[in-house]
Amino acid sequence: MTEEAIAVEGLTKVFHVPFHRKAIVAVRDLNLRVGPGEVYGLLGPNGSGKSTTLKIILGLVSPTHGRTKIFGRDSSLVESREAVGFLPENPYFYRFLTGEETLRFFGKLCRLTGSRLNDRVRELLELVGLTNARDQRLSTYSKGMLQRIGLAQALVNEPKLVVLDEPTAGVDPAGSRAIRNIIADLRQRGITVLLSSHLLTQVQEICDRVGILARGVLVREGHLEELIAIENRTELVLENASDALMKEIEKLAANSNAKLVERRRSTTTLERLFLDATKRNDETEMSKPEEMTKSE
Amino acid sequence: MDSSHRLFSFQRILAIAANTLTELTRQKVFYVLLIFALVLIGSSVFMARFSFQQEFQIMKDISLGAMSIFSSLLAIVATARLIPQDVDDRTIYTILAKAVPRFEYLLGKLLGVLLLLAISVVLMSALFIVVLYVREQTVVSETLRQMSRAPREQMDNALNAVRAAGLNIDILAGVAVIYLKACLLAALTLFVSTFATTNIFTVVVMVFVYFIGHLQSTAREYWLEQQTTGWLTRAFLALVALIFPDLQAFNLVDEIVAGVAIPLALLANTALLGIFYIGIYTLAATFVFYGKEL
Ligand SMILES: Nc1ncnc2c1ncn2[C@@H]1O[C@H](COP(=O)(O)OP(=O)(O)OP(=O)(O)O)[C@@H](O)[C@H]1O
Ligand SMILES: [Mg+2]
Repeated sequence: MTEEAIAVEGLTKVFHVPFHRKAIVAVRDLNLRVGPGEVYGLLGPNGSGKSTTLKIILGLVSPTHGRTKIFGRDSSLVESREAVGFLPENPYFYRFLTGEETLRFFGKLCRLTGSRLNDRVRELLELVGLTNARDQRLSTYSKGMLQRIGLAQALVNEPKLVVLDEPTAGVDPAGSRAIRNIIADLRQRGITVLLSSHLLTQVQEICDRVGILARGVLVREGHLEELIAIENRTELVLENASDALMKEIEKLAANSNAKLVERRRSTTTLERLFLDATKRNDETEMSKPEEMTKSE
Repeated sequence: MDSSHRLFSFQRILAIAANTLTELTRQKVFYVLLIFALVLIGSSVFMARFSFQQEFQIMKDISLGAMSIFSSLLAIVATARLIPQDVDDRTIYTILAKAVPRFEYLLGKLLGVLLLLAISVVLMSALFIVVLYVREQTVVSETLRQMSRAPREQMDNALNAVRAAGLNIDILAGVAVIYLKACLLAALTLFVSTFATTNIFTVVVMVFVYFIGHLQSTAREYWLEQQTTGWLTRAFLALVALIFPDLQAFNLVDEIVAGVAIPLALLANTALLGIFYIGIYTLAATFVFYGKEL
């Protein structure tokens, strides 16, 4: 298992737009390695080349220079995608199929048949919380539901590598939390995940390592704790601390040459608040909020 | 889990073909065309009846003609949007990001259309044959009634004449050739749609191909007669014949209406020609599709 899950070497992609004299350099001399079992987050502003990079890794777009490999096999080979799942950004599947039919179709593309296929489809619908909506056509799905069926589709062949392009974009906090839980679960099972996002707090929570792209160039890369730790600071969180205790702590700190930089009331996150507030009304069922906003 | 890769998997192609067929049957276009064809064939029953020979001839002419036009139209319209639609919806990403070779994707799409065309041609010809059969039986019983006192030999002659003008095996040959033509047009449409930028472009190009394809054999004969043809002209004509298939070769309606028996050799030749064209266009589509930036 020393094989890199993903290896990108000297990758450059130039787009030539018809009727434009200037070519667009979407990715410039990119080098990237993702180890097996790692959760890697590719960050960057809009148009920085995240999606292009992912598509090249998956062999959907051909590189101008450089090469990409998945588990040691070149991306231009079909067999490199044998154990790969992909969720494109803003996925849109066949709207004339139901949720269940969609998963069956993708299962068959991965050569699943019979009871293996049936079991897998049922499991996945359960996993992404779409069991109730499985007989609904995708044309009636909300954005969050599409994102979830997309995630289920990416997992249908029990991949060793999952590539997710903005997995939580446009999904409500409950759905986004559920998707992050699924990703955490994939990591538990040793599955490599490469995801792109610009929702930084979410990335912070699930990624082992991140790389930051800007105008097609990888400007920062590293383990998350190392990148964001402030070396000389430590935080304490206390419950029921009396004024006297706080005075004591300040005094101790002053005596030992340390400085109390900030003192504030702990707050909950807006996400927690949102989740608690919306939970009371509609149970814990994931698909509930979308079902209520569905028209007709 | 079986993780060994198959370079070619019929199961994957079938999955894509079945999906394509579902897509097309769940689109209303298909039903509109079919209903229209059914109505037209049905209406030929109510044609002014001269002699039964004329009636049967008109019926065959109209029905086979309609079948030919509708299957061609269906082939072009249904195929033109398949790939562009998948590209627009990005469904093509999810499919090709799995271990699906691009040629399997194309073959699956084409197979789906060919299945749809087969279903429509079978439905249309079944209706046509039933209608023709019913009319034939009516004429037979009328003849029997009218000639009940005529001598045996004369009556047999009359009945044979009715049967010869009515249903015969050549109709099936005509239908098979119509199906082949539709398949050829579908394959060519698929090829055009791999590089076309809009669906309208594909459809317009295909309508041109349809007309030129029907006219070109006449034009070619004229040319070859007119000039003492040099190799340049011949090369040019060969090229035209490759890009614009000779669709007139797939038209047996005149022979069937005239009641000329269709030789098996002609049928085999036509089938080979059709399969050759389909193969060439599919290869060309694959070639363009592999170089396509998605
Ligand atoms: N098919 C294409 N033809 C021409 N230019 C393209 C094409 N695809 C992407 N680009 C250009 O490449 C650059 C990078 O695009 P990309 O989609 O990779 O960005 P991104 O980081 O995914 O952005 P976002 O956060 O908006 O999804 C952009 O400037 C874009 O205009
Ligand atoms: Mg993107």
